Amino acid sequence: MNVLLRILFVSLLVLAAGSLAQAHPHVWVTMQTELVYAPDGTITGIRHAWSFDDMFSTFATQGLESKEKGKFTRDELAPLAKVNVESLKEFGYFTFATADGKKMELTDPAPGFWLDYKDQVLTLNFLLPFKKPVKAKELKVEIYDPSIFVDFAFAKDKPVQLAGAPKCKLDVVLPREMTFAEGKALSQIPAEEKNTTMAWGAQFASKILVHCP
Amino acid sequence: MNRLPRLRVLHGLLLLLLLLLLLLVMVDAAMAQPFGLNRGTAPSEVGGFAGWILAKQAEFYRMLSGLIRAAKADGSAAYTLLGISFLYGVFHAAGPGHGKAVISSYLVANNETWRRGIVLSFASAILQAFSAIAIVGVVAALLGATAKVMGDTVRVIEIVSYALILLIGLRLLWVKGRALLQAVGLKERAHAHDHAHEHGHGHHHHHDHDASAWSHGHAPEPSELAGVHWLRRGLTAIVAVGLRPCSGAIIVLVFALAQGLFWIGVASTFVMGLGTAITVAAIATLAVGARELAGRLAKAKPGAGVIILRGLETAAALVIVLFGAALLTGYLASERLMGV
Repeated sequence: MNVLLRILFVSLLVLAAGSLAQAHPHVWVTMQTELVYAPDGTITGIRHAWSFDDMFSTFATQGLESKEKGKFTRDELAPLAKVNVESLKEFGYFTFATADGKKMELTDPAPGFWLDYKDQVLTLNFLLPFKKPVKAKELKVEIYDPSIFVDFAFAKDKPVQLAGAPKCKLDVVLPREMTFAEGKALSQIPAEEKNTTMAWGAQFASKILVHCP
Repeated sequence: MNRLPRLRVLHGLLLLLLLLLLLLVMVDAAMAQPFGLNRGTAPSEVGGFAGWILAKQAEFYRMLSGLIRAAKADGSAAYTLLGISFLYGVFHAAGPGHGKAVISSYLVANNETWRRGIVLSFASAILQAFSAIAIVGVVAALLGATAKVMGDTVRVIEIVSYALILLIGLRLLWVKGRALLQAVGLKERAHAHDHAHEHGHGHHHHHDHDASAWSHGHAPEPSELAGVHWLRRGLTAIVAVGLRPCSGAIIVLVFALAQGLFWIGVASTFVMGLGTAITVAAIATLAVGARELAGRLAKAKPGAGVIILRGLETAAALVIVLFGAALLTGYLASERLMGV
């Protein structure tokens, strides 16, 4: 009875710990982000280019009409782009920005957003303007899904760019895409050991920090 | 002579801890986000065991697309695909959704056996696979409709499924809550009587509930809930949990369809369901085990024990109600098919 009790307790503890993971990504986004500055040095908006993983890209384009099989033009994808952008509104475009510690409000995407389809990957391009453009000494932009249904990671190539802010310094870009090798390394950490060397959670909060004089 | 009371206190504490843990697991198991309250703050760091599960299921899922492509060129890749699908199912089910919480709570509330728990887990997982295949097969493959139509179909099914969960919970809450009140009432009445009567009454009462708490063939009061027709009764739970397909399975099926390998996608979905069933069954078995242990500990405490057990059952029923309500109102998103 005591042994049984102990086993049950340990299992329940493990379960409680494990189920707190709350992880469920079904959509992977590889993103390139551009921070857009006005000539006077105010930050005016964030330009996103989000590439979806191939499975979700295939899923999203299922049943869409196209002239050439397996290829979609911008025009053919326009209705889908509209739906994408509209449904992102509910989630605040997964984009959270603060200027000198103050929360920045975003407006709906500027017209002219579009989807393109290349190598079986859909990429959503849109510009999120700030409601009130400001000058900020420190700008922080985080892109993540709090419910981890969508997994965001920066592209290896040109993850973040500053447009029109020559004096500003791009300080921190976290994190990169996790490679399979890294995933494997992570999986080899024993379950009971606290993982300190590979902060997995940082994978979810893709953070941009910009310092301006 | 001091040992006995101390042992009893220890037992009481253990019982309490066990119940707390059990509730925690039940409440937490199916949550995508703790009631959606953390919007605006970055998810906290996930390390160790949880991070490992997370990493694994993501890794397996991302391998699926490559394997489906490979299966097109080389049939033997299909076996690898099935293996990975199975593993994905096992790990994926450890995350939120997939009815672990509802099934576990249902088993606890109904005082079902672990065998029944396993049957319910497998039946709902297989139904879930069927549901995904039916949606993709009919809506996408036959009708050639878009992802949006599929998404809308899933949403309708979702509403039915969540409403069913809520109904099951409410019904259980009604029956179990009444049993709890009855148990409390009986105890109070017993106290009010004179000593001799109390003894007799209390003993009888204890004996009665002793049987009903962990044997299944008993007759009166909540008997209706743990009797012969458990499978028919369980059918509602199976449908409520299994009706809503897993978004992952739908995406994999559509991807396979686009590659002209729909049947490979179907096989992968079933194997995935099998993996899911194993995890859900394991968790359900744990919940039943904890319930039985709680029952055994409670047995040592005549009057209060019964109340604690009825309380646990009522709490489990309440968990189902909360889940159903939260899911139905969209307060809690189990999964979503975003943007289509």
